[in-house]
Amino acid sequence: MRLRLSAVILAAVLGIGPAAAQFGNPGGADPATVERAPGIPAPSQTNVQDRLFASLAAQGGTAEVELARLATQKSRNEAVTAFASQMIEDHGKSNGRLMQLAKQMGVPLPSDPAADQKALQQELSALDQGRFETAYMRAQIVDHQKTVQLLLWVIASGESADMQRFATETLPTVLHHLQLAQNLVQQLTGAVAP
Amino acid sequence: MSVYMKTALASAVALTSSFVVFADPLPPDVTYRPLPTLPFSRVKAADEAQKAAVMQRQSALLNARYDLSNTAVPGVMMSGGRKAVQQGVRVKLPAGTSWEALAAMSPDEVRQKGLLPAGFLPLPHVKHATGGQVFPDRQIDEIRRQEGRDLRRFDVNFDLPDHVTAEFPPPIFLTTRPELGDVSRGQLLTIKNYYEVMNGIVTPVQMEGLRLLLTPFPQEEFNQTEDRKVAEQSTGVTCLDCHANFHTNAAFHLTPDVRPQAARFRLDSVSLRGLFNQQIHGSKRSLRSVEDFTEFEQRTAYFNGDHVSATRKGAHLPDRTNQVAMMAQMQNIIDFPPAPKLDSQGKLDPSKATRQELAGEEIFLGKGRCAGCHTPQLSFMDNMMHDLKLERFYQIGNTFNDLVALPDGPIKTFTLRGIKDSPPYMHDGRLLTLADTVEFFNLVLGVKLNQQEKDALIAYLLTL
Repeated sequence: MRLRLSAVILAAVLGIGPAAAQFGNPGGADPATVERAPGIPAPSQTNVQDRLFASLAAQGGTAEVELARLATQKSRNEAVTAFASQMIEDHGKSNGRLMQLAKQMGVPLPSDPAADQKALQQELSALDQGRFETAYMRAQIVDHQKTVQLLLWVIASGESADMQRFATETLPTVLHHLQLAQNLVQQLTGAVAP
Repeated sequence: MSVYMKTALASAVALTSSFVVFADPLPPDVTYRPLPTLPFSRVKAADEAQKAAVMQRQSALLNARYDLSNTAVPGVMMSGGRKAVQQGVRVKLPAGTSWEALAAMSPDEVRQKGLLPAGFLPLPHVKHATGGQVFPDRQIDEIRRQEGRDLRRFDVNFDLPDHVTAEFPPPIFLTTRPELGDVSRGQLLTIKNYYEVMNGIVTPVQMEGLRLLLTPFPQEEFNQTEDRKVAEQSTGVTCLDCHANFHTNAAFHLTPDVRPQAARFRLDSVSLRGLFNQQIHGSKRSLRSVEDFTEFEQRTAYFNGDHVSATRKGAHLPDRTNQVAMMAQMQNIIDFPPAPKLDSQGKLDPSKATRQELAGEEIFLGKGRCAGCHTPQLSFMDNMMHDLKLERFYQIGNTFNDLVALPDGPIKTFTLRGIKDSPPYMHDGRLLTLADTVEFFNLVLGVKLNQQEKDALIAYLLTL
């Protein structure tokens, strides 16, 4: 909680946020872009990377919440259930913001998780409690690594300033989740966390 | 079998037992450079329209982080006598703190309170989403004058003030003819004048190497395709367009060794002086010979580590046995500038050094812990990469001008010989003066130097 608060303070102090503009490479802009001023896209203009990011992030976020719900039911490890509850809360919030953004931009979002995410859900639900906890946490590391990469990607490759703002604000939290997951896996298995 | 082992095995079995569902890889352009989606003329128009605001945004960041004033150390010039060395700490402190207070805090405390000076954070490229090589004005002007080749980008300009960069053109000192001193004749070496300047001084293989180092080849932003940032189709850039006169002109780009784009740190051009003693090359890549580096730069510095894009635009693939060898021959004879106060083992001659300089050397070798990586007998390097773990002091994941501040990881130790000649400092040029670097390492190494010790250290560094 403290970490997140200091992130917000830091962001305010260093001028990240609406005041700081985004300048993407126009070579990657959408040909249908409407310009607010020469070289500056109007609000809610998106390119392929923005739309693909929104789609992948929405799927990932939904899967994340479903998996975390499973974890709160199956796990008897307090740290794991606490982690899962935080995932439900944090990803629930960012899913909501993303849906709002996507609606503004007219980007349709998938309603189902991807096939591999569904398969993971099935496999994990078949495990008994002890194995589930370790498998869930290890899967969470991979999941958050991928999410970090996608966020970094849209920050530089997207066209929409709103999408970039969403990504820059979400990234520190996701990195924090990754850290929590690494620490938990360390507790459960002895693997070393960075 | 331990509990851990059993759990690990069980997880592995459980996850691979039934049917295999492959997850999608991340989108391809997280790693690979995408082709442009718009025609060149529209991209150029948009870039030009954005340029003023792009420069303004970077200027605002620089001014928030640093004192950019032109304040020279009295009586200290760079080795060619053409530019003064800048003095003083330029990194701005957060309100309500001091260097002593910061040094007294633990890294955790600095991080949690957000007190690491912003000037110590990774420095963004001027237009980070695009990246690519950016040349300073003096290089652009001189190349246009001598060769008629255009190094001006229509989307960005160089961002640092001239007085915090190296002198131009830099002097050239040769290991093969030390008695001649600076052989540059005050000129920037280009394909037009190198033969006149160097014939008689270098050998035939060195001359051919020099020719190749001065020959333009296609590069990501300077090429003949529509994916370029120069107005007209370009023959490209040369090695010495950044490594001017085998030194540096502070031209920068982004590391070719990291993806995605927002995670790539900025890279200041290094000086090529003293390469002969360097055993690893590249900030992250640890190439083991200058031949390897020379051969591969056509895919890395030139094309961001994307050999696919390089192939489309026309990478130069120099022949290893002849061309690369000769380019290495020339690079390996470039000496450090003379350091009259240093003996053959990199130690100060007490009969020539001032008391303050000797005191600085003592700190360098002792309390300051500088020599732990910057070993005097090894040309102030250790041929190693080290991780300073600056992320102990700042929260990772915040975005500044489209660069996300992440841990830098291990980076090669740079030489300190001739160091006063090559500001700005660190792999990305985030430290503008030697005083800044002393404050930086004082914090990072936790050595708690007092002001007198810091001043002595700076005096010593100016003798190298």
